[in-house]
Amino acid sequence: MRVIKLLRKSEWSPYLGGALLGLLAVLSLAFTGRLLSGSGGFETLGGSIVQAVSPAAGDNIYWKFVMPAGIGWSVFVLLGIFVGALVAALAGRTFKWRAVSDDQWIRIFGPARWKRWLVLFVGAILLEYGAGIAGGCTSGLAISGGLQLAPSAFLFIMGMFMSGIPTAMIFYRGRY
Amino acid sequence: MLQYVPALIIGFAFGWLLQKAGLTRYSKIVNVFRFTDLAVLKFMMSAMVVGMIGVYALKDLGLVSLVGTMPTYIVGNLVGGLIFGVGMAGAGY
Repeated sequence: MRVIKLLRKSEWSPYLGGALLGLLAVLSLAFTGRLLSGSGGFETLGGSIVQAVSPAAGDNIYWKFVMPAGIGWSVFVLLGIFVGALVAALAGRTFKWRAVSDDQWIRIFGPARWKRWLVLFVGAILLEYGAGIAGGCTSGLAISGGLQLAPSAFLFIMGMFMSGIPTAMIFYRGRY
Repeated sequence: MLQYVPALIIGFAFGWLLQKAGLTRYSKIVNVFRFTDLAVLKFMMSAMVVGMIGVYALKDLGLVSLVGTMPTYIVGNLVGGLIFGVGMAGAGY
């Protein structure tokens, strides 16, 4: 009964979530020989779309060797992430359809849809581009790399906060 | 197709945990950069600590080998992180 209650709870402690994620990473490495990744799937999936639309544009070193295009492991992980988060939201009864998804955003920047969507679109491009340069995102490089004590992960986390903090300051100005 | 079943399961658990910890919400992500809610750091650091202990314990027992796909390019990792941070603080994901 307690397990079911926990599963239905809308929010877990981040310590519990994090610890379980660490356990998941260990199990993933033990059983599949891979660690967690998030952003790689978008890159390989993007590669296959470009190659389908314009083979000439997709014919480059990046999608041939660095991030081989194709629908593989990381795309299925992404699919799983989507379904898992959806089921978790449904189980916790926090699922809701909204155009502007966050109360804090509405309070500070207003309910205008274009503002949120523009910032989200541009931000997501930067996020994926940065992850591509660094060699991973928060999960694939910072967590998976960090737990193997890879120096690159700590450099990445450093960069992430060095630019994230001033960006938040610019966005929030007096309300920082 | 069968070889991708573990990927789906791992992804499912991953998504579940992110959602339950609230990290799929804009405010949780951006507030770590405003120092008003450190859930992202708590989550990341707990995952790293548990993962480190587990992975290195299994490695020292000779059961797993590390995944050597994170080469260190000081400029690349740092610049990538810098661009990533701008996107993360803006988009909130």
